[in-house]
Amino acid sequence: MPLTDISVAMQISFTYFTVLYLTGLGGLFSERSGIVNIGLEGLMIIGTVTGAWGARYFTDTLDLGLPWGPLLGLLAGAIAGMLFASIHAVSTITFRLDHIVSGVVINLVAVGLARFLSQAFFGQATQSDPGGPHLDRIAIPLLSDLPWGLGRAFSNLSPVVLLAAFTVVPAWWALNRLRWGLRLRSCGENPEAARSLGIRVSPYRFEGVLLSGALAGTSGAFLASEVVGNWREGQTLGLGFIALAALIISNWNPVRLMFFAWLFGFAQAIPLRLNDAPLISALPPQFIRMIPYVVTIVAIAGFVGRVRPPASAGKAYEGAGGI
Amino acid sequence: MATRTIEPRSRVEPNRSAWVENVAGQLLALVLSLTIALGFGALLVLAYGENPFDVYGAILSYSLGSLDGFGYVLAIATPLIFSALAVAICFKGGMFNIGVEGQYLVGMVTAAWAALSLGFLPPPLQVVGVLLAGMLGGMLWASVPAVLKVTTGAHEVVTTIMMNGIAVSLLAWALNYPLRFSQAPVGQNVDLRTDEFPETALIGDMGRVFGITSGAHLSWLLLLAIVLAIVVWFLLRRTRLGYEGRAVGSAPGAAKAGGISIAATQLRLFLISGALAGLVGMQQILADRGYLGTNYIAQLGFTGIAVAFLGQNNPIAIIFAAILWGILSRGEVALQIETEVPREFIIILQGILILSVVITYQIAKRRLAARQLQRAGAAGALEDSAAPADTDEPLSDVTPVRREEA
Repeated sequence: MPLTDISVAMQISFTYFTVLYLTGLGGLFSERSGIVNIGLEGLMIIGTVTGAWGARYFTDTLDLGLPWGPLLGLLAGAIAGMLFASIHAVSTITFRLDHIVSGVVINLVAVGLARFLSQAFFGQATQSDPGGPHLDRIAIPLLSDLPWGLGRAFSNLSPVVLLAAFTVVPAWWALNRLRWGLRLRSCGENPEAARSLGIRVSPYRFEGVLLSGALAGTSGAFLASEVVGNWREGQTLGLGFIALAALIISNWNPVRLMFFAWLFGFAQAIPLRLNDAPLISALPPQFIRMIPYVVTIVAIAGFVGRVRPPASAGKAYEGAGGI
Repeated sequence: MATRTIEPRSRVEPNRSAWVENVAGQLLALVLSLTIALGFGALLVLAYGENPFDVYGAILSYSLGSLDGFGYVLAIATPLIFSALAVAICFKGGMFNIGVEGQYLVGMVTAAWAALSLGFLPPPLQVVGVLLAGMLGGMLWASVPAVLKVTTGAHEVVTTIMMNGIAVSLLAWALNYPLRFSQAPVGQNVDLRTDEFPETALIGDMGRVFGITSGAHLSWLLLLAIVLAIVVWFLLRRTRLGYEGRAVGSAPGAAKAGGISIAATQLRLFLISGALAGLVGMQQILADRGYLGTNYIAQLGFTGIAVAFLGQNNPIAIIFAAILWGILSRGEVALQIETEVPREFIIILQGILILSVVITYQIAKRRLAARQLQRAGAAGALEDSAAPADTDEPLSDVTPVRREEA
């Protein structure tokens, strides 16, 4: 098996990493504030349809060209994701609805809403015209010059991939070094204690959920406009749930999440590119797609290590006002 | 996930008034939430420049206006009843089975295998065998999260999400390898699917008896769904397992102190839930299509969660909730033919409906409980009998307190 195949698989895995990492990071902020978010898939779906529309609208209709058009497209996805996540925020925080119920509804409604929006944006319900605008591809200096075809892994990448990889720095910093992050986490671990220190729990939880919408929306927009080039129904392919798996197995830690988002991304890339490799060729591709889920079940069951979610994630906080 | 803990209510007066208040409150909440949902929907319709009354009228006339229309509605409702029952039985036991989705996919695979390989059985037994295979498939898939929950404390929400992901790939694998059709139609590029099932493995058309068009694919599975809804009601209300399940679901600590094994109860409820989930896919493969293909109808497990909450996890109410859902779904056809409103309006309306139902119920329950607590407190102070006791219906109307993983 030539090294180029591995390189290309690696390159594909970076793309999947970007989707999984941004979405997983969204879930992380939400769950660390105490709101379980299984609606990530739905938030991504809304991001894909608005992102694809935004990239086209800002680049072609408003004639902003590169790179502003595609960038504003990503921003459109983020804002749409945030707006959609506000439904989850209001129902779980204000109305203290069960987080899982609300998340399921988010996922169900997203499918219909995406078609609704697609009808309005593109005049057709299940896809937009292919070949939408995207940011110029970049090659990472030095790494892309590696010999034996290895450099291909680091060339022809969307700049968003790099951007996503570097998001770990502000994310880690905000969570661990900023007062905001410490307070956000305290709302997820022990809201009563947080409140006794004068922290208002609900605003932090709102911020966590809205941030998750923005990140998952960006991730969806990236998938639609940067990776695929147009919107297609069902293009998220359950990646929101794989992101959730990566989030759980990384123990809600933004640095570890990087590794697992990449690993699960690589698992996605294998059937696409490494089908002929020894060992892998013996396995049907469908089994390789199961890997992230199986690994996560093993981890959650505590066979290998133990993951611990934020102590109060999923619990409604009764203390503050509400109806 | 606990939304509310159970406040002790003292029984200081005959609780009939509280019971009446509960029923009245729930009815009020239902009417209110329906009004809210239809109101929001009407605003959307107005935004599209159409008359809401015309749109709602079209939806009703396509679903209830003719016998055939109602046949379509019931056919849509059939799998949703199974799915919602599976969700409800777990919920009563304090668990959230969002793995119905994966369980019915696996149920479809095992049932398809049985339909293609049980040809040696006499005809009536074949259908029974196929249905049992579907139930076993669902049960098998549910057994993994169930066993992991009671042995390691792994949260069933997380494990079932993962099992759903695995099931999608498992189904794809089954269609690619063991169940792949033996001869592709010549010169045609058809979707990947199994061979056609033998006629003897299919479920009969119930609609014919009532003069409903065969195009509706209304099958005897509807009867099975209704019977099972009654069975589930009986199981939850009149059997030991049901009693213990409701006890575990509403107050695990008290149940344990009362000598109930939480693990055994939850395991059994989860397996029954999986068996019910295994029947969800039968309508589409045994009544509608006669084969299993990659173009299968997905999301029925998640829709079942919505229907279960619409029916407040009451097995009998779930039948009506599924029919209501079916009426709305049937509306997609009505919208396409009669109006300019895109058919996707329906799925958004369904989303608004489910959100308004759960939120209104949540608020109503909290209000009622607070009121009754307050009144009991006042009466208790008068009679100086503050000892809290159980009420008549301590188990049914309380959101289960969920155990968190360690």
